[in-house]
Amino acid sequence: MAKSSGHEAKPSQGFWAESWRYYRRNYRAMAALAFVFALSLIALSAPMIVGTKPIVCKYKGNLYYPMMGYYNNRWEPSIFHQDRFRKRYPENLKKNDPDSWAIWPLVFQDPNRRVHEDEWPGQPGNELAEKGIPNKYNLMGTDIDGYDVFARLVHGTKTALLVGFVSMGIASVIGITVGAAAGFLGGWVDVLLSRLIEFVICIPSLVLILALLAIIDQVTIWHLMAVIGATGWTGIARLTRAEFLKIKQLEYVTAAKALGAGSTRIMFVHILRNSMAPILVPITFGIASAILTESALSFLGFGAPPPNPSWGTLLSQGRSNIQDMWWLIVYPGLAIFFTVLAYNLIGEGIQEATDPRTREAK
Amino acid sequence: MLSYLIRRILIGLLTLLFITFFVYGLIRNMPGTPLTLEESTNLARELTEEDANRLAKHYGLDKPWYEGYSVWLSRVVQFDLGRSIPKPYTVTELISERLPATLLLSGSSLFLTYLLSIPLGLFSTATKDSYFERGLGLFLYMLYSLPAFVAALYLQILFHQKLGWLPLANMVTDISEFKNLTLLEKTWDVTLHSILPVFCFTYGSLAYYTRFVKSNMIEVEQQDYIRTAKAKGVHPFKILVVHAFRNTLVPLVTLVGLTLPALLSGAVILEQIFAWPGMGSLFFESIDQRDYDTTMGLVLMFSVMTLLGQLLADVLYAVVDPRITYD
Repeated sequence: MAKSSGHEAKPSQGFWAESWRYYRRNYRAMAALAFVFALSLIALSAPMIVGTKPIVCKYKGNLYYPMMGYYNNRWEPSIFHQDRFRKRYPENLKKNDPDSWAIWPLVFQDPNRRVHEDEWPGQPGNELAEKGIPNKYNLMGTDIDGYDVFARLVHGTKTALLVGFVSMGIASVIGITVGAAAGFLGGWVDVLLSRLIEFVICIPSLVLILALLAIIDQVTIWHLMAVIGATGWTGIARLTRAEFLKIKQLEYVTAAKALGAGSTRIMFVHILRNSMAPILVPITFGIASAILTESALSFLGFGAPPPNPSWGTLLSQGRSNIQDMWWLIVYPGLAIFFTVLAYNLIGEGIQEATDPRTREAK
Repeated sequence: MLSYLIRRILIGLLTLLFITFFVYGLIRNMPGTPLTLEESTNLARELTEEDANRLAKHYGLDKPWYEGYSVWLSRVVQFDLGRSIPKPYTVTELISERLPATLLLSGSSLFLTYLLSIPLGLFSTATKDSYFERGLGLFLYMLYSLPAFVAALYLQILFHQKLGWLPLANMVTDISEFKNLTLLEKTWDVTLHSILPVFCFTYGSLAYYTRFVKSNMIEVEQQDYIRTAKAKGVHPFKILVVHAFRNTLVPLVTLVGLTLPALLSGAVILEQIFAWPGMGSLFFESIDQRDYDTTMGLVLMFSVMTLLGQLLADVLYAVVDPRITYD
């Protein structure tokens, strides 16, 4: 593999380093990767971009970080609860402690409630429903209850990304285990597991998802992820099985066996590492489709309950008000589209960069 | 081949048995029954306890689910899919009532997909690496990533709300007046209503198939016999269509087998958005209303189609590619 070029004795690149080299040449895939990276940053720093709680403030001589409340309700400093702030930070900070100061998020809006007049000095209150057209205070308008759409989109990024990663994480674990066992062990295990895969493919995923969600009492976003993951592993399992069938014939596996390595070790240390590249492709595409499934479920009204801003929930609100609230459809729709597109492009990029056939074509 | 077919069919029947058993257990264990769910029937509020028990007995809801399954199974082997509980029809009637609407969408969408994707795919192979082809490729890729329900909403805003050219949803303008229209008016009315749904059904698979045709063509184009044809001076068009394309038919034909279930199952979300009275919305309603027999009938139909489609794909594969045999 290592070609001797001008520089002699340079250690040959490993498989992943070389793949990365090929991947980097694909500017579309790189742009997609940058986009997903930017989305993760937005998801992590959502409360600093848009919120009604200060990022950091000095209050009665101490420093507090009230924005932590957006990550978890319990992380909001309790002193503001005791001093009866009732989520109105700007006026109460000044009133209770004239010497206080605070650093505010870039946009003063809230994903979980309506912002009223003069909460922020000089800023008008959010309009309701069809009056909430996008303006300079509500960049993407407001929804039926007067919640800011931009704030909900930014805070909903976390949901979309988490759904993609967690549900595909679950699906990968199931899919790889089932596929590896079927492909490597063969025999009746393979027959049984292949039937199982076919069985899950044949069950309409809508029945499975809706039934599982109906059986759970209080659906949270985590249940949704688990259910999407539990129904979305078949493609990964089939590919893993095919890869294992192919690789287990190779001589290095026989060598490992001869050295006394156990089945589990051969499966997960020796074979899996070599089949990781093709398996990564359906996983990446799976992230895209998991995000789609989540927004579709939220759209149908089976999503996570509030206060979990989800892009699909916004869309479904927009659908019932399609006559006069276009902004509820256009912006969340774009967000879903670009995220799905980005993951598809990354998947394609990985495919092209790791497949020797397409590599040589370049 | 025959013994292969028989073995596949037997395994398929076994799979069907497992699937129906599992799904029956699943939906019977969803909380609520058609009798208790408020949205499924207005009867629920008026029912006395005695009546409710009598009805539950009548529909077999008082028995545990595995007994209900055996009753259902014994009816199905006699070709009786049972009847809907919230709706006054048998399952067969419901399905045959909804099937035409779905076939109209999926049939015309499948037809359009093949009609357009093959020329488009051949065109992109012929103009490979030109700027136009790259632009087209990127555009198709973006179309492929655009979720159908987002596209549907965008198109509704554009063509109904802003331009006012097309109706928002439903299959006909007014059901009660529809009977009085002439045949031409009827066709026109349904056509107008189906433009947006058919488009949303089609564009994703169109993009996918075009890319599929193109990537297969590019693989074939590197074969020696294509070079031979070029060397002896065959016209490039003839090489493309007669020599190369014929050999990409193999994967294309097997894809037909795999699209079989999609032909009948419709699409739940699209049918919801366009208020289209098809199989997808029937399926969704039946799960939502705990209409056990209807759900089971549909699940049975979809799984039979999925299994048949896979079998058909494997058989077609052997038919078009003589190198493949099943013994």
